[in-house]
Amino acid sequence: MLKIFLWLRYLGKRRVVLLSIAAVALSCALLIVVASLFNGFINAFERGAVDAVGDVVIAPPERIADYPELIRQLEGLHSVEAATATLSAQGLLHLGKGNVRAVEIWGIEVQKCGRVTAFERSLLKGQAQSRSQTDGRGIEAYVGIGVLAKPDDVTDEYDFNAVGQEVGREVVLTTGAAVGGKDGSQQFKRKSLRLVIADVVFSGVYYFDNRIVYLPIEQLREAVYPEASQPIAGQIQIKLKSGCDAEVALAEIRGVWEAFAEQRLGWEAYLIQGTKIETAIQMQARYVAEFRKQMGVLLLIFGVVSLSVVLLVFCIFYMIVERQRRDIAILKSCGAGSGAVALVFVGFGLFIGTLGTLLGAVLGYVVTKNINALEGWIRVIFGLKLWKASVYMFSKIPNEVDWRAAGWIALSAVAGAAIGALIPAISAAITRPVNVLRYE
Amino acid sequence: MYKLILAFRYLYRRRISYLALGAVALCVFIVVVVMTVMRGLVGDFKEKNHSFTGDCVVGTESLVGFPYYKDFIEVLEKADFVEHVSPAINSYALVSAEGSQHSIGLEIIGIDAVRHSRVTGFGKMLRYHKDDAARAFEPRGDANLPGCVVGADLWLQRNSRGEYFYEPNPAATAMTVTCFPLTIKGALAKAGTDLVNTKTFYFSDTSESGLARVDSSVVYLPFEDVQALCGMKEPVARASWIHIKFKANVHLEEGCRKVRLLWAEFCEQMQDKPNAEALAGVSVQSWKEHRREFIAAMEKEQTMLTAMFGLVGLTTVFIVFVVFYMIVSHKTKDIGILKSVGASGVDVVAVFLGFAAMLGVAGSVAGVAAALWFLRDINALERWLFERFGFQLWDRTIYAIGEIPHRVDLTMVLVVMGCAVLACLAGAVLPSVRAAQNKPVEALQVSQL
Repeated sequence: MLKIFLWLRYLGKRRVVLLSIAAVALSCALLIVVASLFNGFINAFERGAVDAVGDVVIAPPERIADYPELIRQLEGLHSVEAATATLSAQGLLHLGKGNVRAVEIWGIEVQKCGRVTAFERSLLKGQAQSRSQTDGRGIEAYVGIGVLAKPDDVTDEYDFNAVGQEVGREVVLTTGAAVGGKDGSQQFKRKSLRLVIADVVFSGVYYFDNRIVYLPIEQLREAVYPEASQPIAGQIQIKLKSGCDAEVALAEIRGVWEAFAEQRLGWEAYLIQGTKIETAIQMQARYVAEFRKQMGVLLLIFGVVSLSVVLLVFCIFYMIVERQRRDIAILKSCGAGSGAVALVFVGFGLFIGTLGTLLGAVLGYVVTKNINALEGWIRVIFGLKLWKASVYMFSKIPNEVDWRAAGWIALSAVAGAAIGALIPAISAAITRPVNVLRYE
Repeated sequence: MYKLILAFRYLYRRRISYLALGAVALCVFIVVVVMTVMRGLVGDFKEKNHSFTGDCVVGTESLVGFPYYKDFIEVLEKADFVEHVSPAINSYALVSAEGSQHSIGLEIIGIDAVRHSRVTGFGKMLRYHKDDAARAFEPRGDANLPGCVVGADLWLQRNSRGEYFYEPNPAATAMTVTCFPLTIKGALAKAGTDLVNTKTFYFSDTSESGLARVDSSVVYLPFEDVQALCGMKEPVARASWIHIKFKANVHLEEGCRKVRLLWAEFCEQMQDKPNAEALAGVSVQSWKEHRREFIAAMEKEQTMLTAMFGLVGLTTVFIVFVVFYMIVSHKTKDIGILKSVGASGVDVVAVFLGFAAMLGVAGSVAGVAAALWFLRDINALERWLFERFGFQLWDRTIYAIGEIPHRVDLTMVLVVMGCAVLACLAGAVLPSVRAAQNKPVEALQVSQL
């Protein structure tokens, strides 16, 4: 009780203590914001991949014939919710006068891919309305918003009304693929297609929005591989059932794939083994590891700088101890042991650390949650647009608080404050009342 | 003189002031290291953009291009401030390499290799024909075949040191390039027929600009060929950009201003010519304006990092404040004696601010010295970490970064040192004023001794 009384008294009487609380809070908030933004970015990066391609992707070195049968077999697995096929190609899109874009073309099962990816959620008008826009004038195409328009230079936002006007417009796409000639050589065969923009895709992920045109897989197949007698796919995207173990699911999927490739497709072992079957998160692992490393380096730098907070707490506590020598001597002359005295100051350090950390955590939470609004204010006040989708991939700054990292940072901050208080506490503990309280 | 002696004595004798000195040194060390690396990266990136673009460009983003570029080149070549000029065509094409089952949508740039390397760093970016741009489009084996220079990242893999795996004798791989030819109005030139133009080129070299976006998406082709592929030869020849290099003594902004004047004059002269309306969308930009979208992003990151370190540096001000507060509390008797022998309040403030300045200078000198030592060996340290623990600051197979920049900018160092001294002075102001307000009669009374 006496300790708490003394802590509150020091807190009320020694305003310089507020400085240490402010410093702990500032450092704590900064580290929480940095860790949360980085982790939010990494999560968004991984989520973006899952939204785009599903949980697991089968990517063989050659095209898969008769994929509906493979999908049927995959959907029979306990761990698989749904599977869909895709076929990709590259092309040039002529959008109008003087406007040509290099694009990636993804052939998708329009009706089905919504069960595996976030495609349906990314459509501006929604699929029900989309199909009616084509009227049989050409192949229905779903075009990334960044292919059709540029975001505003200042706000980095798209003019959705203007983009919406593009729906129903006819455009020309040139694509092609290498086909085997009679002499066994590969020959590039190109094809120009008339498309009608059925809808606009806005996923919030710059790469996809800025580069991809989605077409129905069968129509892309007819255009690029007209000689193929049955449905073909380049990849199979799979959505796993929620809660299932990804590793177990991968093993099951690999089993189905190997049996299918061997028996149905008659593939050689090297082709089967050369097929990549990975989760979307595994596919991004190399980049995620790099982001995590950058985060670690930045946190280390800020962590080292934050060491000065320990120095600050040390200085403040040293000053308090120097000022309170008489109090300490009186405490000791009344029977308090050296350990009890030391505990008063270490406890006070913990108390200061906890208060600062709480304040810092609240500040960090508020800043992280409102980071997009803050960024907007900075733009309005200073004219500086800090976040652009073209640079940082996403149209919005990910604003999830990373509670795990925040917990570690909070613990470190409290421990740092206690460490800062330790030497002054020892100095207080070894105070000799007889030296301090003597008359001369 | 006594102020200096006292300030020095406090710095030397009061061990608590070493803590403040340490905090200042730590902050200065980290800021100098981070700013040097960041400035190096930004500076290097800007230099690469400059080298890629030249000093100034006249042109349009539209793939239609603009006519009468030859006439304007003549005007530019007569100007006394222009060193060299090079026309270029930018467009998109579908490129498929021989033996590959896939094609890829890429940016193509049509240039006259010799002229372009006089204006930009193109000649230095080549691997197999470095500084011999005249042979840039000559494929190995048969120099008469049409050649193409491919962005290094499109063609080669990088190792963990960021170096490309080059073949000593690369084969003249055939690459089919397909483009939409556009009329001067922007419509498809071959509507109703095949819609596209196609031509086969043969690999002749790689280009390593050091700009990831360029090296992973650009193929250079001979100017005349691209002009034909994009339908820009007729009815009036067109180009997308004119790259300009100014003479050595011409200031960038001044040179650009003069080009703008020349262009305005030229447009007036051309206004009655057919298709002159296509000149309306043409702009004159310095290389900085032309590459602003890319450069600004890095500059913003630098600004953000500086702001964050400024925020963290506030803690140093707090530390100095507390240390000075303690010293002043302990030195009331000294202050009382000083004032009793005639020192004014201002003199007392001067003593403590002098002490703060000394602390700032000593701390920042220590921080800078440590930073210089660290930066000198930063690449060796990274190599050691990589060999021992597999740690690299940046994965060179992902990032187009060579060595970690370590060239220290003296101005930046002086600014950081100045800020450190100012931070110390800011932290010491309140305690100094408090010291100055001490009354000798109170400080020296028997009960206080």
